[in-house]
Amino acid sequence: MNPIAIKRINRSLAYLCLIVASAFFIIPFIWLLSTSLKPLTQVFAYPPEWIPHPFLWSNYSRAVEYIHFWTYLENTAIITIVSTLGVIISCPLVAYSFAKLEYRGRGILFFVTLAVMMIPGQVTMIPLFLLFTKLGWVGTSLPLIVPQFFGVPIYIFLLRQFFLGLPDALREAARLDGASEFRIYLQIMFPLAKSAVLAVALFQFMGSWTDFMGPLLYLTNEASYTVSLGLQQFQSQKGSEWGLLMAVSTLMTLPIIVLFFFLQKTFISGITFSGIKG
Amino acid sequence: MRKSKKFAFPILACFLAMLLLVTACSTKGRASDQDGKGITTVTMWHGLTSIDLDNMNKVVKAFEEKNPTIKMKLVYTESSEGSDQKLLTAVAGGNPPDVALFDRFKVGTWAAQGSLTDLSSMAAESGITKELYYPFAWDESSYQGKLYAMPMDTDSRLLFYNKDHFKEVGLDPNNPPKTIAELEAAAEKLTIKDGKRFKRIGFIPWYSQGWLYTWGWAFRGEFQDPATGKITANDPKVVEALQWMTDFGKKYNVEDIAGFTSAAGSEEMDPFISGQISMKISGNFTVKGIEKFKPDLNYGVAPIPTPTGTNFTTWSGGGSAIIPKGAKNVAAAWKFLEFLGKEEGQTLLNADSQISVIDSVNDKYGYKDDPIMKEFINILPNSHNRPVIPEGQLLWNELASATEKATRGNGTPKENLDKVTETVNKALEKYDK
Amino acid sequence: MAKLADSVRVNTIPSARKQRALRKTNVIGWLFASPWAIGLLCFYAIPMLMSIYFSFTTYSILQPGEFVGMSNYIDLFHDPLFWKSIYNTIYFTVFFVPLSIFFGVALAMMLNMKVKGMAVFRTIFFLPTLVPQVALAVLWMWLLHPNFGLVNGMLAHFGIDGPPWLGGEAWSKPSLILMSLWGIGQAVVIYLAGLGDIPDEYYEAAQIDGANWFQKTRKVTIPLLTPVIFYNLVMGMIGAFQQFTLPYTLTKGQGTPANSMTFYVMYLYENGFRYFKMGYASAMAWILFIIVMALTGIVFITSKRWVHYQGK
Repeated sequence: MNPIAIKRINRSLAYLCLIVASAFFIIPFIWLLSTSLKPLTQVFAYPPEWIPHPFLWSNYSRAVEYIHFWTYLENTAIITIVSTLGVIISCPLVAYSFAKLEYRGRGILFFVTLAVMMIPGQVTMIPLFLLFTKLGWVGTSLPLIVPQFFGVPIYIFLLRQFFLGLPDALREAARLDGASEFRIYLQIMFPLAKSAVLAVALFQFMGSWTDFMGPLLYLTNEASYTVSLGLQQFQSQKGSEWGLLMAVSTLMTLPIIVLFFFLQKTFISGITFSGIKG
Repeated sequence: MRKSKKFAFPILACFLAMLLLVTACSTKGRASDQDGKGITTVTMWHGLTSIDLDNMNKVVKAFEEKNPTIKMKLVYTESSEGSDQKLLTAVAGGNPPDVALFDRFKVGTWAAQGSLTDLSSMAAESGITKELYYPFAWDESSYQGKLYAMPMDTDSRLLFYNKDHFKEVGLDPNNPPKTIAELEAAAEKLTIKDGKRFKRIGFIPWYSQGWLYTWGWAFRGEFQDPATGKITANDPKVVEALQWMTDFGKKYNVEDIAGFTSAAGSEEMDPFISGQISMKISGNFTVKGIEKFKPDLNYGVAPIPTPTGTNFTTWSGGGSAIIPKGAKNVAAAWKFLEFLGKEEGQTLLNADSQISVIDSVNDKYGYKDDPIMKEFINILPNSHNRPVIPEGQLLWNELASATEKATRGNGTPKENLDKVTETVNKALEKYDK
Repeated sequence: MAKLADSVRVNTIPSARKQRALRKTNVIGWLFASPWAIGLLCFYAIPMLMSIYFSFTTYSILQPGEFVGMSNYIDLFHDPLFWKSIYNTIYFTVFFVPLSIFFGVALAMMLNMKVKGMAVFRTIFFLPTLVPQVALAVLWMWLLHPNFGLVNGMLAHFGIDGPPWLGGEAWSKPSLILMSLWGIGQAVVIYLAGLGDIPDEYYEAAQIDGANWFQKTRKVTIPLLTPVIFYNLVMGMIGAFQQFTLPYTLTKGQGTPANSMTFYVMYLYENGFRYFKMGYASAMAWILFIIVMALTGIVFITSKRWVHYQGK
């Protein structure tokens, strides 16, 4: 066989694998989409059906009216964007210090950073709530935003791993040129970790976007509710409005899908190491 | 040192900027409770949606017309366990709402924790007494003789049966089973088994609302000693009920029917609606579900069969309104509770939706002429409520787990129920101090 | 922060210049870490210390309770459901974490191929992590319901009697592991980012040496991916031990059937928020802390042998 034929077979094989695997992973979303267009009587029909009959596009307009969707969306967007910004500012900075800077107490600080993730949030929830009550922040979105500006352990750990992978040679060179540590970080190291920072930003974005417990506990005014709180309003003991719920769920996931679609390229293009050898 | 200052500034600047940004984003402060004109704002947390929310808004409107100095502010919070968490944290943080809607089941626990306002004296002054309500509704709102909640609505459990299936196998669709023996016979006739798979199953005792409470009371057992307040889950009659459930499971092979009762959201994917189960125990709250999901289902409801075919009974739960400890406007909040609990409020609150806790209101709704609803209403005077104890949730979970263990052949009913009794009574000891 | 750095005294007697340089690096390091040092103290350390204290009391959230010493811890060791929940949680962790790493890396490598339309495929693999929790619980029931579910319906077409999935004691945990694997999109993103950081030069060099795909994977890809694998291993373990939301919504908090789905944090939650035994729940949290800490410690110690950082 000639190499071109082998290449072609390889390529088709790759596509086959990808398509089979994606079929498996796309099921939840197809189901979500299909349920969002179904009349209530069809949602749990037996045997299960994939294709809505008829296509109830009105589920979407009804769902948006059922809750204050646009207000909730705006609130969610503000919280999400600001807290994602917070994470981008704080986490790489701290992670960089863990990976590349030498200072007394670094080991202990990193150890504690890992340790705080091992205590389930369920037990620190109440003390944290009491703390925010003392600060007078309950009823505002501050508890959902401010901590992000001080760093989130899981992201700090992730970024540390990436910074550890960056060659020291770059720093040395820049230092010889007389650059300050902060400039080295901001102008050389931070751009190099772009792909990881973007991944972290995406996770925080998703986390804030879909967070339920935080808004539930801290927001006490319906005008400041988020979409994930709105989702609950479709559920009730006397038969939930599944079609509407799925419609809002679909609307809610769309921005993240679009965001992901456009961001994913940067995950691989990541760094160009041209001229640098680790 | 000089160099470190150089970048200390940008970091500080970043922080100041973000703090400013953040405070700017969250100027939506809290509404104050009183404005200058002597109007009190009462905040109420609720989990109501659609028709129930509309009804509540009507109640609020009527209330505000009568009480011009009080303004109600309704805030939606999630209605299942999540609302617990929000209320719990708010009470712990010392900043609860003035009124919260609350499952009556939790009254015992919260009252024992000292987190509910005692309403007894205010109720007495307002002329709200036990006689107004179904006895179980009042009892479930009280703990150790004091009233802690205003009952709002209720429910009851009955036997649902598919009339078409009855006709199909030659059973009289207008004469549902009355005794346990008749129930077993009907179940056997209705079941269609195809190899290991059930094409249709007649009945599963523990499916849906077939809790041990349901059967324990149907077998005339008691779960609590009224004199000592001790739990008696191992009452011989309750053991008998569980024994019957276990035997029933054995007959049809428990693992085979487990598929029907799989915990994963079985309420939504109701095999009764899809015609895969012919009879089930369920509450009036599923009636609306059937109307929504399968309006043409030909079904009937009947009292839950008992060993003798007489002394029919059931049990009821439902919602209530409470004033948490630490609420700021107790007097105004009580005004609203009073309005909610009296006939006028009740009539507006439950229209076209729930069963009222006042018998005359249900009469007014015409429930007693409705072939389905009248069964749910008629049983109410003989209905039970779950024991009001500080460990109600523990008892509930222990009973559910004992039922599961016994029916799956993991220990005898007696052993399992002895264990429940011991565990719960031990947990209750600490409240006696 | 500067104070902290100042307090550092070096034992040997270095030259003044050296001392100054050392002090400077300390100050710089702490300045970089300062946001987190403050955040850690306020938002993490204080609540954690409070929960240690609670674990020695009968704190009920609504009432402060009284100091009872070690009795919560002693009671736990006599609580059969506590042991059952540990068993369930370890079962889940032991199977889920290695599987998620294996499939995560495999998927990421597949998604790192240079073929057309990859953006679409990548997005598809990420989709399951986006579906809201409330919707997921219903989806799983719709798919895996033993009698009415799509999967068993399809199996029946081929004459196979499907398992009871979530309804059977032996099948419930494997089902959960399967469902959780569906949501490895986030881990895949991290692996993808890690793959993107491997310089092409390495592959080119391997190519010149005549390495085949398998050799390249073993000698280049996997070793250079170890920093992220290490991260996912540690976080996967921490996450698996705190498994909560999915089994909780699936079983409505009951852990059915026969407590086979009662996971550690579910039981902790039940105690803390349903039985108002927050002191007991806090004790559980700290036992979990010790277990996870010990395991993470082992991973960290062994990591020196198998994790390779390019930068060093």
